[in-house]
Amino acid sequence: MTPQFQYGVSLYSYTGEYGVTSTLDDCIEDVADLGATGLEILGEAHVAGYPTPSAAWIDAWFARLERYGLTPTCYGSWVDTRRFLGRAMTVDEAVWQLETDIRLAATLGFRYVRPKLGVVTSDLEPDPVWEPATERVLDLAAEKGVVICPEIHWPSVIRSKVVDDYIAFIERTGTQHFGLLMDTGVFQTKMHHRTGGVASRLGEGSARPPEVPVVPVSDLEDVLDHVVHVQAKFYEIDDELIDHYIPWAELLQIIVRRGWSGYLSSEYEGDYGIGRAADQLRRQHALIRRLAATL
Amino acid sequence: MLEVPMIQTRGFRNREPGEGFEVRLRLPYYRGLWTNLIEGAAITVDSETFAADGIGWSIDGVEYSLAQLRSSETARWPVDVPAILRVPRSEPLPIGFHDVRADLRLRMSYIPEELQPTIWSEQRRLVITR
Repeated sequence: MTPQFQYGVSLYSYTGEYGVTSTLDDCIEDVADLGATGLEILGEAHVAGYPTPSAAWIDAWFARLERYGLTPTCYGSWVDTRRFLGRAMTVDEAVWQLETDIRLAATLGFRYVRPKLGVVTSDLEPDPVWEPATERVLDLAAEKGVVICPEIHWPSVIRSKVVDDYIAFIERTGTQHFGLLMDTGVFQTKMHHRTGGVASRLGEGSARPPEVPVVPVSDLEDVLDHVVHVQAKFYEIDDELIDHYIPWAELLQIIVRRGWSGYLSSEYEGDYGIGRAADQLRRQHALIRRLAATL
Repeated sequence: MLEVPMIQTRGFRNREPGEGFEVRLRLPYYRGLWTNLIEGAAITVDSETFAADGIGWSIDGVEYSLAQLRSSETARWPVDVPAILRVPRSEPLPIGFHDVRADLRLRMSYIPEELQPTIWSEQRRLVITR
């Protein structure tokens, strides 16, 4: 079968290098150079003057896309529900944040907006503000031609209340402007512990992230019709072009057989180190292209 | 461009007599933040610790107290702009080597509350020249 999916890269991959060893232009040139056509960014990271970039910045953005032959795919945003200390975020505040990012994403030519939602439970149930706030911005998303797609991200699993609630929302509202973003880290077969970078820890106490069962790749079949974008999360491709964490062959078999035509947007989240992202992204694209040629 | 560590070599200096010293921090995270999400940064120099509450911030040329960072509706800390931390101290730091440690606390909304805040800690040996 001829694969229908397309190749992209998220600039998240260059974390620790963007602004340190690489400019935005360096990162975007690298994405084009490795053969991807889709460009994913994080609004709050990569847009100078966020949330109101200058006209000159926007002009330079489109000039770059033209120069490197890249198509904007997904724009990552956040709804920081804990933004105001000691109180929850109101629906109006969440609507403001979503509208701000939908407008900016549309201005920059993006088709997908991924709001990273604040959570209220250990298993990452989103703050209940998400539903009324998202419902209020659906008309704007339609007007701007944007699909809102919260991500299913480790340690979430596909068979969960979180995913059921998103699908129920799509069915209840009948919207064409809400879907799922699947992060392939969900399917990791073992944990990767990132090294390098500035040392950090989660919390003052002894709480640790939950143990999560391995999610069978076949679970993707159940939700793929709702998946509008894939963050092709990966941690390490070895010197034999083997990924010991993410089962790409199984994933690609489903994606290709189902004729899924969105972007696999690479998201490197492995060890920090100067030049590592550029090398690892190329390894992953080589791995996926080799596998795709055999399907 | 910035240095890879959170604590930057550039910007470590004494201020006017009686005003303490400054140290610059790069945001060691992958995106810029609304400054409300900054819980603060404690600075330790040669085992003398300065609490986060007393440290003033300057981001992109605008000065804030920690309380102002937390309450602002519009202030941001961009990922590629280092923050200047102004640390009160009655005497200037002596010229020469100092072990500078920073403990930066940021509040993430998408991580379960029992695993928050996220705390970045780093120590570097820096030289103060004047």
